[in-house]
Amino acid sequence: MQINKIMSYTFDKEDLKQIDAIKAKYPTVQSATMPVLWYAQDKFGHVNAEVQHLVATTLDIPESHVHGVATFYTQYYKKEMGKYVLDVCTCFSCQVCGGYDMLHYIEDKLGIKAGETTPDGKFSIQEAECLGACGYAPMLQVTNDVYVNHLTKEKIDSMIDGLKEDKLPEYEEILPPQLISKD
Amino acid sequence: MPEIIIDDKKFTYDTPGKVLPFILDHGMDLPFFCYHPSLSIPANCRQCLVEIGTPVFDRATNSFKTDENGEKVIQFFPKLMTACSQDMSDGMVVKTHVSSEKVRRAQKDTLEFILVNHPLDCPICDQAGECPLQIQTYKYGPEGSRFEYKKVHKPKRIQLGPRVVLDAERCINCTRCVRFTHEISKTYQLSIVSRGDKNYPSTANGKEFDDAYSLNTVDICPVGALTQADFRFKARVWEMNQTPSIDITNGKGTNVDLWVRDNLVLRLTPRHNPHVNDYWMPDSSREAYRLFNENRISRPEIKLDKELVKTSWNNAKETIAEIIEAHDTKEVLVLGSGYASVEENFVFNQFFTALGCGKASFVPHVVEGAGDGFLLTDDQAPNTKGCELLGFRAHTNRTFKNALAKATVVVVLAEDIVGRELANAEDLAGKTFVYFGTNNNTTSKDAQLVVPITCAAEHAASYVNVDGRIQRTFAAKETVYTSRATNLEMSTGRLDRFGTKFDNWRTDKNKVDCLPVWEFLSELAPRLNQTLSYETGKEVLTAVSSSVDAFAGVDYDKMDTEMGVVLSTPETEEKTA
Repeated sequence: MQINKIMSYTFDKEDLKQIDAIKAKYPTVQSATMPVLWYAQDKFGHVNAEVQHLVATTLDIPESHVHGVATFYTQYYKKEMGKYVLDVCTCFSCQVCGGYDMLHYIEDKLGIKAGETTPDGKFSIQEAECLGACGYAPMLQVTNDVYVNHLTKEKIDSMIDGLKEDKLPEYEEILPPQLISKD
Repeated sequence: MPEIIIDDKKFTYDTPGKVLPFILDHGMDLPFFCYHPSLSIPANCRQCLVEIGTPVFDRATNSFKTDENGEKVIQFFPKLMTACSQDMSDGMVVKTHVSSEKVRRAQKDTLEFILVNHPLDCPICDQAGECPLQIQTYKYGPEGSRFEYKKVHKPKRIQLGPRVVLDAERCINCTRCVRFTHEISKTYQLSIVSRGDKNYPSTANGKEFDDAYSLNTVDICPVGALTQADFRFKARVWEMNQTPSIDITNGKGTNVDLWVRDNLVLRLTPRHNPHVNDYWMPDSSREAYRLFNENRISRPEIKLDKELVKTSWNNAKETIAEIIEAHDTKEVLVLGSGYASVEENFVFNQFFTALGCGKASFVPHVVEGAGDGFLLTDDQAPNTKGCELLGFRAHTNRTFKNALAKATVVVVLAEDIVGRELANAEDLAGKTFVYFGTNNNTTSKDAQLVVPITCAAEHAASYVNVDGRIQRTFAAKETVYTSRATNLEMSTGRLDRFGTKFDNWRTDKNKVDCLPVWEFLSELAPRLNQTLSYETGKEVLTAVSSSVDAFAGVDYDKMDTEMGVVLSTPETEEKTA
C-alpha cells in the first residue's frame, strides 16, 4: 500500500517481457487484455484509471475497451484497496444462511462499511454476488484467493487476527455430503 | 429463384441476406432495437425474435420430405430465432407476430424486461415521439409492468463530450453507439462499462467523447439515452417539420434533413443516401443551423455616412442600376462563389455578362488537411465543382487581388472575401462594392450596398459536390415573401397546419426579409433594359441544363428520384471509363 502510493505506473523491462509472452499466447492482442490487467493488478494492487491507460497504451488497444473489461469484472479493483479484500457473499444462498449478519459483523469489527478501506490500508470490505460456493454458505473470499466457508463470528475473528499478522487462512477441503461419514 | 415464406405468404429473393431486413424491405413490420443496416449484427436486444423453420431434407432419397398432402415437411427450430442474424435459405418458413402467438408473447416479454429499469420519463424526454422503444411498446408491449420495485439508478446528464449528453438510465444497451465508434468513425471512444443491470456506454475514465462524428450516435440511439447537447429541450419532434436538404458546410454534399419550427432550423440530421453519406454526417455540418438562423441580413442595407442603414428593395434596385450606368462595365468585377448554388451563380453571371461585364469568376476555398477521406473534405464550399462546370475562372488568392485592384466596381455573391482574408478594407476602399449575402459578416460591413439573399434553407437550389454529383435543397424556412400555405413543395408540421397567429406557442417573427438572387435580378432587369425572368430555381436549372453541356439532361425531378445526378465531368468520365 505504502509502496503503491509513491509508485508511478510504468512497466519495466521485465514486465514488458512478461506481457510479450502473454501476447504471444493469443491470436489477437485484444485477447491479452484480461491477463495483462491481472498482471498489472498483481504489480500495482489495483487497476485504476492510470493503470488502465498504461495497459491500453502498452497493448496499443483502445482505452475504452480496457475500461470496459476492467469495469465488467468485480475482481479487478478500480481503486486502491486494502491489502486484504474481503468479498462477503450476500447473494441468495448466503443471504438466507446469514450472509448479511456476517457482513455486518465484519463491518462493525473493522469499523468500516462495505466498499470502504480501513485507514491503515489493511482491509477492504466488498459485498459480492454469488461466488459459486452456495453449499458452504455463508462464505467470503480473501483478495480473489482463499475461500473462507461456513462463516461464524468466531471464524471471522480468528481469520482477521490471522490476516493482521499476514497469515492467510488455510484452504479448506469440503467434501460433498455423500462422502462425509455420518458417525 | 429461392423462396421464403413469411406469415404464409410466398416471397422470392435473388440476393442472399438476413431475414429482418428482408421483412422490413417488403413493407412488413418487425420490431427491433440493436439492428442497423450499416453496422455489425450483435443480436443483443432480442426484440426481433421469430419462429423459423426449414424444410426437412431426406438424404436417403435425396429429396425433401413431404407429408400426405404432398407439402414439404417443415421442421422449426426449437427456440425462437433473431431475424436480424438469421440468413435466409430456400424454402425457409418464418412466422412473425402476425401469425404466431409465441412470437407475440416473446415480443411482449422482451419489452417487459427492457422496461424493468427504463425510467418512465417520456414526458420530459427529447426522444419521445421518435423513440423506437416508445413506439414498439405501444404496438407490441405489455399494457402494464409487473415490476413493483425500485428501478436501478445510473448516471444521468453526463456530458460525454462537447456535443453529446448521456442519460444512462434510459439506455437499453443495444450497443449501436459503441459499434458506430468501432466500425464507422473508428475512434473506439465508447465501450459498455460495468455489467448486468448497471451497465451503460461510456468513454474510458472520463475521456472526452470528441469524435468528429459523435452526433451520429444520438441519431441511431433507439432511446433517449444519448441526446444532442445543442438541441436538448428545444422542441418536441412533432412540433417541427422536416425538409430534405444538402449540407452546405463542406464539399461532400451530405444529404440532410432540416428540422424547422417557427421558421428556425433547430437541428440537422443525416438523410440516407448510399451514394454519398450512407446514414451519417459529421458533427461540424450540424452547426449549419446557426448560419440559417443567426445574424441574417434582413432587408437591403445601404451605406450612409459610413454606416449601413436599412433601405427599401426599390432603392436597392435603383442604386445598382445607377452604379452600373455610372461605370464602364469593363471595370466591374463579378465574383461568384462556391458557397452559392448553381442557380444563383448562373443567374448572377448571366445578368452581369448581359450588361457587358466580364464573365464571373470565383475563389475556391480549399483548406489542405481539413478533409478526412470520409465525409469531411478539404473543400470548404458546397458548390466549388458547380462553379467550375459553369465555366467560372478559378482565381488564386493572388490573381484575385490583381483583378480586384483593377476593378472600380465589385459585385460579390455570397463570398465572405474579407473574412477569408482575400481582401481587406483598404483593398475595397474607393471602390463601389455591392454584396449579395445571407449573413452579416466582415464583408457585408465594408459594402456600400448589401442585398439580402435567401440561404440554402429558404430556396430550392442545387449544389455539385466534390464527386460531381448534383443534388438539391428544398425550401424549409419561409421568408417574408413565401408561405408554406401556397408553396406546396414546402413541408408542413402540425404547428404549421393547425397553429394560428393567435397561439402564444408559435410565432411568425423569424421570417427573414430576403429574396432569391434570380428573383431580385429578374425584378432589376427591366430597369436596365434587360430581359431576365426567373421565378423559381427549377426554371433556372432548366436554363442551365439547356445552355451548359455539363448539366445537360439534369432537372429537379431526376435529382429527386435518383438521389442526385452524377454530372459528366472529365473526372467522372475517367472513373466510369
